[in-house]
Amino acid sequence: MSILEYNGSAIIAMIGKHCVAIASDKRLGIQAQTISTDFRKVFEVNSGLFLGLPGLATDVSTVERTLQYRLNLLQLRESRLLTPRSFMYMVSSLLYERRFGPYFVEPVIAGLDQESYQPFIATMDLIGCPMEKNDFVVSGTCSEQMYGMCESLWKPNLEPLELFEIISQALLNSVDRDALSGWGGIVHVVEKDRVTTKHLRARMD
Amino acid sequence: MSERYNFSITTFSPSGKLMQIEYALMAVEAGAPSVGIKASNGVVIAAEKKHKSILSDESSVSKVEPINNYTGFVYSGMGPDFRLLVSRARKIAEEYYLTYHEPIPTPRLVQQIGFSMQQYSHSRQVRPFGVSLLVAGWNQGRPYLFQCDPSGAYFPWKATALGKNYINGKTFLEKRYSDELELEDAIHNAILTLKESFDGKMTEYNIEIGISNKDGFRKLTPEEIKDYLSAIL
Amino acid sequence: MDFGTGAALPVSKPPLARQFNPYTSNGGTILALSGEDFSLVASDTRLSERFRIHTRDQPKTYKLTDNVVLGCCGFHGDVLTLNKLLAARIKMYKHQHDHEISCSSLAQMLSTILYSRRFFPFYTYNILIGLDEQGKGCVYSFDPVGSYERETYRAGGTGASMLQPLLDNQIGFKHQNIPEQDRPELTADRAIALVRDVFIGAAERDINTGDGLHMQLVTKDGIKTLDRFPLRKD
Repeated sequence: MSILEYNGSAIIAMIGKHCVAIASDKRLGIQAQTISTDFRKVFEVNSGLFLGLPGLATDVSTVERTLQYRLNLLQLRESRLLTPRSFMYMVSSLLYERRFGPYFVEPVIAGLDQESYQPFIATMDLIGCPMEKNDFVVSGTCSEQMYGMCESLWKPNLEPLELFEIISQALLNSVDRDALSGWGGIVHVVEKDRVTTKHLRARMD
Repeated sequence: MSERYNFSITTFSPSGKLMQIEYALMAVEAGAPSVGIKASNGVVIAAEKKHKSILSDESSVSKVEPINNYTGFVYSGMGPDFRLLVSRARKIAEEYYLTYHEPIPTPRLVQQIGFSMQQYSHSRQVRPFGVSLLVAGWNQGRPYLFQCDPSGAYFPWKATALGKNYINGKTFLEKRYSDELELEDAIHNAILTLKESFDGKMTEYNIEIGISNKDGFRKLTPEEIKDYLSAIL
Repeated sequence: MDFGTGAALPVSKPPLARQFNPYTSNGGTILALSGEDFSLVASDTRLSERFRIHTRDQPKTYKLTDNVVLGCCGFHGDVLTLNKLLAARIKMYKHQHDHEISCSSLAQMLSTILYSRRFFPFYTYNILIGLDEQGKGCVYSFDPVGSYERETYRAGGTGASMLQPLLDNQIGFKHQNIPEQDRPELTADRAIALVRDVFIGAAERDINTGDGLHMQLVTKDGIKTLDRFPLRKD
């Protein structure tokens, strides 16, 4: 079993019309044993910029804290907000610094550009090879299931409410076919002037 | 016995001054003049490049140096010190690009170079840099012009002059500057400012000009400088 | 023989441990659905091995009797052997009992055959479809060693994990909050449309699934093979 699958996780990000959404499950487990059903793996690093970290839980915390530290320092020093794309490269270079002893996380980044309000989503592997997409990205222990769901449900120009419905359905039905993820979900929908966060009830088995 | 101890040479004088910094500034003031002007749609930096001997090959010496696609440096003071700072700035800019995939913001570059210069004012076994820099940059849709001194202090300017006769240069700029200035007029003004203290005939080969605008930073070719000069004379 | 001439004895290399691996995966995805008066089995038509494609025209559904079809994929050698064995056993059943084997009996027979190879299993994913004694559509799904279950829908093969959650959602109405009595009945037309949609998705992401979609529909009138639907060929 891969170390990436030790704790179990599922994260999806999707692009809609002038909006993006990011969803994750809430489980923290040690292999098949569930430890917590309220574990955070999606972080709002800037207003409207989200970072999802599926993978080894200890590295989830470390990477999140290191990135938040570096991002805060940079934004203070330059008195400006970083664009989502630049943040992606920042994450990428952090991961590549550990090329031969990597952090076991495969991050997902979702956000709106603070100036142009262009939606942005991206993902990368555990050593930071970035991939920008304009439809959806998935990462976690049930990525195959999520690919199957997203490939059929996603369509271009989804309004925020439709986007919420589709990302939620994609997440819930995917994690139900994976023993390592699930136990509740959380969805953030980012629009120009607001971020909507909703918690999803799910099967607890 | 005294060789066993290392003291920083930049220690405060009883009057509260760092004499090494003062001397460095004097080296700057004795250096060849340079000038920078910020316009509404860009920024220009220029310097005099006169040679002691008619035998020297002026095409191999460069005082205006690009740092990345959007930023350029010029200086008054000591050439070798300048070249060290240029190579350092280029490395800082490239490292930034490698991490964030966007050009380094000019204030950030100046801050880092200023930090580097400040370290040379209180470290052992070193002396301060004998140069003041003028930094021209274009970032997030606006022009930037900075001066960076041997002490590590840096100032944003609308227009300024460095080096020999800098006081006259500044007085001249104060009279000519306006906020609506366009880049073309700024280039003219920069040449005129240099001309204020210029000995002998100014040609396209004994001055250098760099501009930064939305298209990036570039040095003007001798042919372009010649056109500007003929428009003035 | 060397009698101590002082020269070093040639060191023989230790024997290399090599083991014959009797299995390989030939990819392919199968999917079965059942409704009130029909059942449907679908498969892609690609036969592949790792990153190579052997053929783009190998459907993985096998007609067993006049109203039972088997979806079967995994290791193609085992698929062929299993089908030959099944064909023989179906013939023997007919001779002994003087009537065609029913879908439920065939499911039990397949389970027994698979379990007989408990310690050298057929590497096959099987889904059996047909009509039950009441004429309702039925789907039996198997694991490679014969554990089986009657269901209303099931995906198998390399793309199964992509199809299954969508079937849960669209046919099982999971996470949809629609009361049992309000759920629309699954018609053959809707089933066919859904199968096409999910296979397009699987062909997009699974390199061992693609080329074409083969569907067989079982109703009281017998087995009908539907027109081939093209899928991604890359």
